[in-house]
Amino acid sequence: MSDVVILGAGISGHTAALHLSRLLGRQHRITVVSPNSNWNWIPSNIWVGVGKMSKKDVVFPLAPIYRRKGIEFVQAKAVAIRPHGDADSERPAVDIVHTSAAGAGREQRIRYDYLINATGPQLRFGATEGLGPEHGNTVSVCTADHAIAASERLHEVIDKCRAGEHQTLVVGMGHGTCTCEGAAFEYVFNVDNELREAGVRDMARVVYLTNESELGDFGVGGMTFNDKGFQTTSELWTASLFRERGVEAVLGAHVERVEPGTVHFETLDGEHHSLAYDFAMLLPPFSGVPLAAYDRDGTDITSGLFAPSGFMKVDADYSGKPYEQWSAADWPKTYQAQGFDNIWAVGIAFAPPHQISRPRTSANGTPITPSPPRTGMPSGVMGKTVALTIADRISKGPMAVAHQASMADMGAACVASAGANLRTGSAAAMTMMPVVPDYSRYPTGRDLRETRGELGLSGHWVKLMLHHLFIYKAKGLPGWHLIPE
Amino acid sequence: MPDNPPIPVADLSRAPLPTEAMQRYRRNPVVQTWKFAVFNARIMRMVLKGKH
Repeated sequence: MSDVVILGAGISGHTAALHLSRLLGRQHRITVVSPNSNWNWIPSNIWVGVGKMSKKDVVFPLAPIYRRKGIEFVQAKAVAIRPHGDADSERPAVDIVHTSAAGAGREQRIRYDYLINATGPQLRFGATEGLGPEHGNTVSVCTADHAIAASERLHEVIDKCRAGEHQTLVVGMGHGTCTCEGAAFEYVFNVDNELREAGVRDMARVVYLTNESELGDFGVGGMTFNDKGFQTTSELWTASLFRERGVEAVLGAHVERVEPGTVHFETLDGEHHSLAYDFAMLLPPFSGVPLAAYDRDGTDITSGLFAPSGFMKVDADYSGKPYEQWSAADWPKTYQAQGFDNIWAVGIAFAPPHQISRPRTSANGTPITPSPPRTGMPSGVMGKTVALTIADRISKGPMAVAHQASMADMGAACVASAGANLRTGSAAAMTMMPVVPDYSRYPTGRDLRETRGELGLSGHWVKLMLHHLFIYKAKGLPGWHLIPE
Repeated sequence: MPDNPPIPVADLSRAPLPTEAMQRYRRNPVVQTWKFAVFNARIMRMVLKGKH
């Protein structure tokens, strides 16, 4: 019997767990370690953040699903990996600290034969002074609870607009190195929609504050589309939406600090600015969760397994080449950790070899450039790919060839809601293929037949359909595996 | 309330605005049902083409 341990139960970890359960049956032990007892369909937090959905619409408990699937669930956070074992045993192990109400703080060491690191991001609100809902002055939609607080604050602001007070709402990125611009883009247009539905749009100034150097970058360097016989860009297409909705955009911005009612930021030209606000939803930068690694004798080998950012180093090219020499081939294919054939990192947990957007620094040397997104569809594909590799290694032997899923070969759909209503809603629906542009295969970096952008009501229907489909899939209900990642 | 000093808001005055016909097109249930089907077919084709 083999022990497979999965750290994290987000999209990639949970997908890996479900596929392993399907592929391995109950002859092998699959254990999921996650500090959270619930699964959250994070893309729909946007709708919780404007009050269109409740927490129960986007969250469900993991334990009953895992019980049904024969997966062991441990509510705990991993704190250290011991890939060569410890003084007691050569078997690799993970140190965990329980987080459930009953066992909070209890430490445990669990052994594994195969390990998947799917720990996701650490939300680094602390990277910017005054950022965040707990110790800062801004709201967030990163978790369902954050989104509930954001919705409450938004509706207070809407009430003030109704009372005749002009309000300024700022939505965007809380640091120059943030990722997930698509989420902020989506939220700003849902806020705009909410203000319109309340009949107070004329009382509100809405500002999108982003680290992207141009609109439509989305951390993937923007996209080129074919449109009615012309090649157009995601920049033009996105700018059109901002102009149509009257949303102001501030580009190439690094938020330096947030005081109550004022956000201070630096722009690429090195200038410093201040903007007074009544409502601010600013996303935090991400890092890997704090995980150490130790050798058998207790020697710290963390820097061998993890990049300084805390993300795990996998089969990618981390040589730090200049931007002009970056290529699609630098991106990982198997997600196997460097130096270990039984550890993988998937989703946000793997260290990207470099940005996808062109890296930029301000005139003062401050990095202001989006980090590469690796959430949603690619995360799920990575989870499934590693599950297939592990299942092969267990059933065919340790030499079984690893399955591959490079972000330079896979496509992704990004559906950014711009108003939630079945008859009057709208969304910017984009597909790109591949996620990481490959200029050796495509003049524009991507396949123009598959890379498209459309605005309209159908995009909202797609977003709503994906919400229901992925929650159905995540619950492991009959036929779940037929729904693609 | 004007910013003092002003913040560098991007100039979007040259971005194309949709015509009324385009806005109707984006909300037309028949057109959008077709678009919905095409978008889903494209996602499926992309999933099948992806080397994974």
